[in-house]
Amino acid sequence: MTTAGLRRPAPGVPPPTTDGLPRFAPSGLRLVRLYLISRRVPLALGLLIGLGALLWAALHWHWAVVGGAAARQFIPLTIESGTAAVIAVTTHGPFGEPERAAGRWLPWLRLGEAVAITAAAFGLLTAGATAGVLAGGSLAMLRNVGGMVGIGLLSAGVLGGAFGWPGPLAYLLIAEGALAHRSTTPWIWPTRLPHDRGGAICAGLVILAGLMLIAVRGPRESGRESGPST
Amino acid sequence: MTAATATPVRHRTPRTVGVVPLGFVRLMRMELRRNAMPWVLPLIAALFWFDSYRPSVGASPLYGLRTFWNLGQGHTILDFGPFVAGVAAWMGSRDGRRGLADLVTATARPRWAGQLATWAATAIWAVAAYLVFVGVMFAMYARQGVGGSPPWWYVADGAVGVAAFSAFGFAIGVYWPSRFAAPLATFGGFLAMAMSSQTGFGAADGWALILPTNSNGSFNGNPQADSGIFYHWLPDLPIARIVFLGGIALFMLGLTGLPARAGGPWLRRVAALLAVAGVALAGTGVRLAAGARVAAHGVIISALHDAADDAPLAYTPVCGPAAGVTVCLNPAYRRWLPDVTGALAPVLAEVAGLPGAPARAIQVPAAYIDPGSGGGPPQKITLGGQPPVLRLSLGQLDMPGPCGFCDRQVGAAGFANQLRLLFARAFVATGSGLGNPAQQAVQAALLQDAGIPFAAQPRLAQLAGNIPGPKPGPATGPVYAAAGRLATLPAAARHAWLAAHLAALRTGRLPLRELP
Repeated sequence: MTTAGLRRPAPGVPPPTTDGLPRFAPSGLRLVRLYLISRRVPLALGLLIGLGALLWAALHWHWAVVGGAAARQFIPLTIESGTAAVIAVTTHGPFGEPERAAGRWLPWLRLGEAVAITAAAFGLLTAGATAGVLAGGSLAMLRNVGGMVGIGLLSAGVLGGAFGWPGPLAYLLIAEGALAHRSTTPWIWPTRLPHDRGGAICAGLVILAGLMLIAVRGPRESGRESGPST
Repeated sequence: MTAATATPVRHRTPRTVGVVPLGFVRLMRMELRRNAMPWVLPLIAALFWFDSYRPSVGASPLYGLRTFWNLGQGHTILDFGPFVAGVAAWMGSRDGRRGLADLVTATARPRWAGQLATWAATAIWAVAAYLVFVGVMFAMYARQGVGGSPPWWYVADGAVGVAAFSAFGFAIGVYWPSRFAAPLATFGGFLAMAMSSQTGFGAADGWALILPTNSNGSFNGNPQADSGIFYHWLPDLPIARIVFLGGIALFMLGLTGLPARAGGPWLRRVAALLAVAGVALAGTGVRLAAGARVAAHGVIISALHDAADDAPLAYTPVCGPAAGVTVCLNPAYRRWLPDVTGALAPVLAEVAGLPGAPARAIQVPAAYIDPGSGGGPPQKITLGGQPPVLRLSLGQLDMPGPCGFCDRQVGAAGFANQLRLLFARAFVATGSGLGNPAQQAVQAALLQDAGIPFAAQPRLAQLAGNIPGPKPGPATGPVYAAAGRLATLPAAARHAWLAAHLAALRTGRLPLRELP
């Protein structure tokens, strides 16, 4: 294979497109589409739909662990942390260095993808919560999911995108322990009331930090740095 | 093409094959070195400290209570299992994620053998870490002077549980080589534990006893029992659980050997056999648990029960004097001997010399069920025998100090008052109830003389009986009026009256009006 047959386009002439549409919009959309596919977002959305359905089933059939607040919230919190774990894993990119070198839109793509899939997850879980009474309601769920996604993104930044999942699931255990022992620090926001400002601020700060880390620096890359995913 | 025929035929040197092939050992060494599990162990260690160890130190320093939360209710497995499943899924999906599945299938070693080496390395890391973490926790308990003996069978349960989680996660990874396999396996692990808790916390008998979070009848925290102190931790249920969890592990590993690329036909037949054996083992475990019954010392499964486990544990009691009466306790309760003698001394001094007054006091084991209680609440203190012996079932009481899931620590004064109330009830033979009005009045007078004012007694009775409800009313009425009259008598006169009327009082034939 040689470059003999290739011709450089004349200056000022846009490169030909396959579908005849203006250049920017389709290429931008194509970039977004390819980015989402490379992050396995369609599969992640399928899993999030499954988690929403699971929440629906749990509330519809009254799956509940007998006991105090920790026991009662165990199943909803597990589903919320599972959601955050799936979102965290979508940050993993397969291309590494070439993508970083060539993609100047990469920070925006990372940010947009994380925000969009979190919003989609919240919507799906809210739909699932219509089957019954969720402890704390949608507001508490928004706070919990948001904060846990933040932990997942931070975890992806530290351990690698593919290893973003232990963060939210470890937080689940910490939250359960705090609920069982009536600890009420705002950093363990599931222990706080839905309208509590402290819990909301802490969860907000965590997701903000997670989004910033993922947007600016991206997840830890395997091969570039040592980690569990190497 | 004559060159080929001219080339001398080279025969392959036969390999030396030992019991364990050298190649497999090398592979294992590589898998152990390249495993992702060590990366997650610091996180698990932190969670183990936070969720399993830290809450347990809030309980009384007795193994049955310290390990109720972490081993009885399965928190050590909860802290380990799901994460182990996640990492195992990551390891199981490795070749598929990296697009190497075809390449490794074409190697000399069957694919399944290589996968089993990967799983074994993951499980070795996980189980070794579990045993080390639990060992460190027990070492810290030992340094803190925790009484009794550790529930080793439940530790073995946990280790097999961790191995089962690793096999579960590994199978997910093998069948679904995706980046989402690890979080989904972890999530599945948590969900399985949640479901286990949902069923296990409520089910007191039947097949649900097999669930690793079920502490009913075998590991009760309340009412407390004396496993590992007066009698052995019964191994019946843990053995059934090991059979169950081992069966799940075998089934999962068998599943990984079923795909066509796993190996030759005979190897896949072995895998299928393993899966079937796993199902049979797990089913056997469930059947064993379904036939279990709760006895005084825990859960008994007839098919597994060894009569030697029913033998009481030998011990040398620790003794101390209380108003001239020797009080002897199990050495596991040594730290509370001064509290017990201090609490009993005033009431023992009051009744000294009276008919039926205890000649000595001994500690008796608390039991999971009390066959002598006739279905009612078990007696915490009884008095009987000739010469009369006071029998203290301290395992049923919240001892002074940290108290696990109580609202606050148990104070020495509160404990002493509770013990005095129980003694007074035992002395006038009211059993676990309040008794008739005359018996109530004598109890109240004895307690008043022992330093518990009438005003505090209704609340104390409510606390001792663990009766929920509104705050009890004031100490008024004919009972307290009679008690007041008895308490104001000179000690010698009261003593003489009790000596004369104690027999009638104990049988419940003495009416209130006959009190002085």
